[in-house]
Amino acid sequence: MSATAAEIAVPQRPSALRLLLREPAAAASLALVMLAALAAVFAPLLAPHDPFETNLVAIMQPPGGEYLLGTDGQGRDMLSRMLFGLRITLGMGALSLVFGTAVGVAVGFAAAYYRRLDGLLMRLMDILLSFPAILFGLAIAAIFGPGITAVVIALSVATVPLMARIARSSALVVLGQDYIEAARAQGMGDARLIRRHLAPNCLSPILVFATLRFGQVILLGSALSFLGLGAQPPMAELGAMASQGRTFLFFAPHISVLPCLVIFVVVLACNVLGDALRDALDPRLRI
Amino acid sequence: MGDESPLLKIEGLRTVFRTSVGEIAAVDGVDLAVPRGRTLGIVGESGCGKSMLSLSVMRLVPPPGRIASGRVLLEGRDLLTLAPAEMRDVRGSRVAMIFQEPMTSLNPVHPVGRQITEAMRAHDKRASARELRDRAIEALRRVRIPAPERRFDDYPHQLSGGMRQRVMIAMALACRPALLIADEPTTALDVTVQAQILDLLRELQAETGMSIVLITHDLGVVAEMADEVAVMYAGKVVERAAAVEIFASPQHPYTLGLLGSIPRLDEDRERLLAIEGAVPPPFALPKGCRFHPRCPFAIETCTRAQPMLEEVAPGHLAACIRAPVEQAVELVA
Repeated sequence: MSATAAEIAVPQRPSALRLLLREPAAAASLALVMLAALAAVFAPLLAPHDPFETNLVAIMQPPGGEYLLGTDGQGRDMLSRMLFGLRITLGMGALSLVFGTAVGVAVGFAAAYYRRLDGLLMRLMDILLSFPAILFGLAIAAIFGPGITAVVIALSVATVPLMARIARSSALVVLGQDYIEAARAQGMGDARLIRRHLAPNCLSPILVFATLRFGQVILLGSALSFLGLGAQPPMAELGAMASQGRTFLFFAPHISVLPCLVIFVVVLACNVLGDALRDALDPRLRI
Repeated sequence: MGDESPLLKIEGLRTVFRTSVGEIAAVDGVDLAVPRGRTLGIVGESGCGKSMLSLSVMRLVPPPGRIASGRVLLEGRDLLTLAPAEMRDVRGSRVAMIFQEPMTSLNPVHPVGRQITEAMRAHDKRASARELRDRAIEALRRVRIPAPERRFDDYPHQLSGGMRQRVMIAMALACRPALLIADEPTTALDVTVQAQILDLLRELQAETGMSIVLITHDLGVVAEMADEVAVMYAGKVVERAAAVEIFASPQHPYTLGLLGSIPRLDEDRERLLAIEGAVPPPFALPKGCRFHPRCPFAIETCTRAQPMLEEVAPGHLAACIRAPVEQAVELVA
């Protein structure tokens, strides 16, 4: 078969994923985040002990020995508790990210698309933005009582205005493009236009911000639990575990340090991944 | 000859923009008619309101602009009185539009075939995906794209400018509109591709019997394509006639100036004639005839009243008190 002009392959730009994996730090971060997610999902299978079973003859055991990462102040296995804690921490983060993003993107798109709503919606977002997330946590814990629900609500509400701003600004750029006008001239309705043309073209900034925000949300969620507003004992949650361990900080530092270390690694990985994703998705940087 | 009523009739159309210095008319009382199966060329410099005119017909004037008055009759139905949903049905299916920039008028994230099926889907909710795909491939074939089955899944960045404009045309014609508005369809393309696209438009017009409104600043394109020509200046139509007429005996000094600024092979001229100055911005229109500050034939009367569009020869309208221009030319010479 002879090669006609139509068959000569147009050089393809490498995919965003390939560009991402080319960066060692990014690849390592992606691996870490995925590892953490898998560990959280399969915690019941991976945990060597019951995370709630106390062993009063083996409290504050240092890492090594029968309990791989030692035990806490009540003789519960640190490794098992951290696996289950990761579940709660990542779960809270993921849930609030999903809710916050869904509402935030809807608000941002509405503000950009229906210009009449812009002023009202964005001033509302500004008001939300002026409260620190921790303050939300306090307020919502006061209303609903402390617990995971309070944390998820607080973090969702704190994510909405940030997401709305990102979505609105990228939507404004996309709405100025000729293909939007062309789609309107074809008689495409609002809902279809937003779904088919606006949303896919706004995806990358939203994806990048969501990745970065995941790290922040985890940190905030752990902080709220550390303050006693989130997960309640005996529930295992990384921030709460760090809080419970701080009384023993001088005899058994691992009880606080290990959960903190996990939080640190996951948040760092999210940040590195977010930055790398931004670079990989930026069409101007593609070679 | 069959149906004599024009497909599109624009009456007293006025499109205004609200600004800090008050309301500004981008289109200021335009009357036009587009006969069935024919091509109307709208010519003018940048900023004369020709693009706003076409967006007004589509009712897609961007805010803060709005259509202040007038009627846009398509097949006898006033588009300006339709409900938004009815207007949405008209767009794409009765009136379609192609734009200047084929590079940016396609969405970069979807394959071109899918964008065509999307355009069809907007007007046909029942057709199966399979059927739409076949129709889209057929539409690509109609605009002479080779191997349309394979191009269907290509992304816009994989196609050349000419190919993309063909895809845009395929998309615009997907629902067989009665009227195609082409806003500078060849301006962004190089000359050989321009000729191909114009040929294509002519062939498609012969096949489908659609009317075309061709907006351009390129008189060469008008000469090649248009049956009738309207020359616009500062939001108003200043001359209207059959294309042959316009080129043979332009009656408005502005048209004369436009024609004088085209390089010609059959005349030995040292320099091209240029029209002095620029189109006045809509917020600083001169009193009287809007062209008089740049007009070589202007007399004192021109500064007082705006001339109306009047018949200077059968079927030939010009808005100039000095028309027919031949006399004025002789007077000046």
